[in-house]
Amino acid sequence: MPNRFPISTEAVDKTPVATMEIILRLKVKDAMVTNVLAAKKSDTLREIQMMMKENEISGVPVLDENRLVGMISVNDIINALDRNYIHDKAEKHMVRNLIVLEDDMPLTFAVSYFNKYTYRRFPVINKEKEFVGILSTKDVLAAMLFEMNKEINALESRLTSVRADMPNQIVQEFVIKRFDFENAGTASFQLKKLLKEKSVDRKVLRRASVAAYELEINVAIHTFGGTITFIFDKDRITIIAKDNGPGILNVDEVCEEGFSTANEWIRSLGFGAGMGLPNTKRVSDDFSITSQVGVGTTVTSVIFLEAKDESE
Amino acid sequence: MERGVSMKKQVRIDDIVSAVDGVILFKGENDYVRWVVSSGLMSDVLTTEEEEILLLSSLTTAQVVRTADMVGANAILLAYNKPVTDDVIALARELGITLLGTPYPVFEACHLLSPLFFGD
Repeated sequence: MPNRFPISTEAVDKTPVATMEIILRLKVKDAMVTNVLAAKKSDTLREIQMMMKENEISGVPVLDENRLVGMISVNDIINALDRNYIHDKAEKHMVRNLIVLEDDMPLTFAVSYFNKYTYRRFPVINKEKEFVGILSTKDVLAAMLFEMNKEINALESRLTSVRADMPNQIVQEFVIKRFDFENAGTASFQLKKLLKEKSVDRKVLRRASVAAYELEINVAIHTFGGTITFIFDKDRITIIAKDNGPGILNVDEVCEEGFSTANEWIRSLGFGAGMGLPNTKRVSDDFSITSQVGVGTTVTSVIFLEAKDESE
Repeated sequence: MERGVSMKKQVRIDDIVSAVDGVILFKGENDYVRWVVSSGLMSDVLTTEEEEILLLSSLTTAQVVRTADMVGANAILLAYNKPVTDDVIALARELGITLLGTPYPVFEACHLLSPLFFGD
């Protein structure tokens, strides 16, 4: 039966690209329920009625071997009771003119089916026309939410890009949340991994790791949150820690060893002794800090990949 | 004390474990260390120039393991046999860093370890 109240597709037309990609990426088989009860075509409607009652289901696919040949719904059972043929075999009264989905179809296709027809679920078959599962609107919602959460988590934690105008440059950006002490350090770990892959000098790798880690911890414990960006060039690595406030009144003061605004909680975790920025400065070849109270702070550390002269 | 960059001799993890009545919480990639850095302040640890160290601390947070990773430590020794959460052990496993525990406080652990590093 056609759906007289289809959902407006206006909102869908304005869907962001990332969401659209998720919907297009998902197939019917990613969302469908595969552990489904089915009846044989020789089963009586009474047997199917019992099956529905015991399992609290409102529709049962009817199979001939593995092939889907029909469906029996609660409505068919009511008709059978009403017209007194409840002991007849399923094949005699089942709905044969089925609208089915194929497991390889994109989920968007299924959504359009739900919109087009009033059925709340569709049987799903594979390429060999074998019955493989059932898809309900609930399954579509669950699969999409699950996939979206996964995607957003990935997007939030890591944004990597290669600039078109600078083909030799790799840019990685990580989001750091306020007080997220558990995950502080994961960005630096990624940096270390990438530098290791590039066979960067051991000492340089260590200095870059220390700078990134101190800055990452800083953003987590002292700011409202922000980002840390790694820019890999042929001759250098640039680490930029940018936060969303509160900003620093006197930037010279914070670069002095021992100056700290950390509280007991931060100190109990092994940080906050006023060593973070001085440490970062010490391992950097180039170091700068700009800040505006109420806006935020940006710290930039540059480390050249050619090992620094240790003669100092 | 010299904060030397010269390569120091290897001290076996097994010898460290028996010196401090230690337990192995996770056995990492390397079975030795070359030096001990002990601090409750991770920024302090990050200033070390020593290589392949044992990080001795009374802190048991995940950041101790991350700090150890950043300075390329081979092992971590936790004082007071403080309870360690599963995710800290999991992180040590992920980063391949040996994780040890000792019943001794930091100072006494240092005392027990010093013959291994200063003796010949």
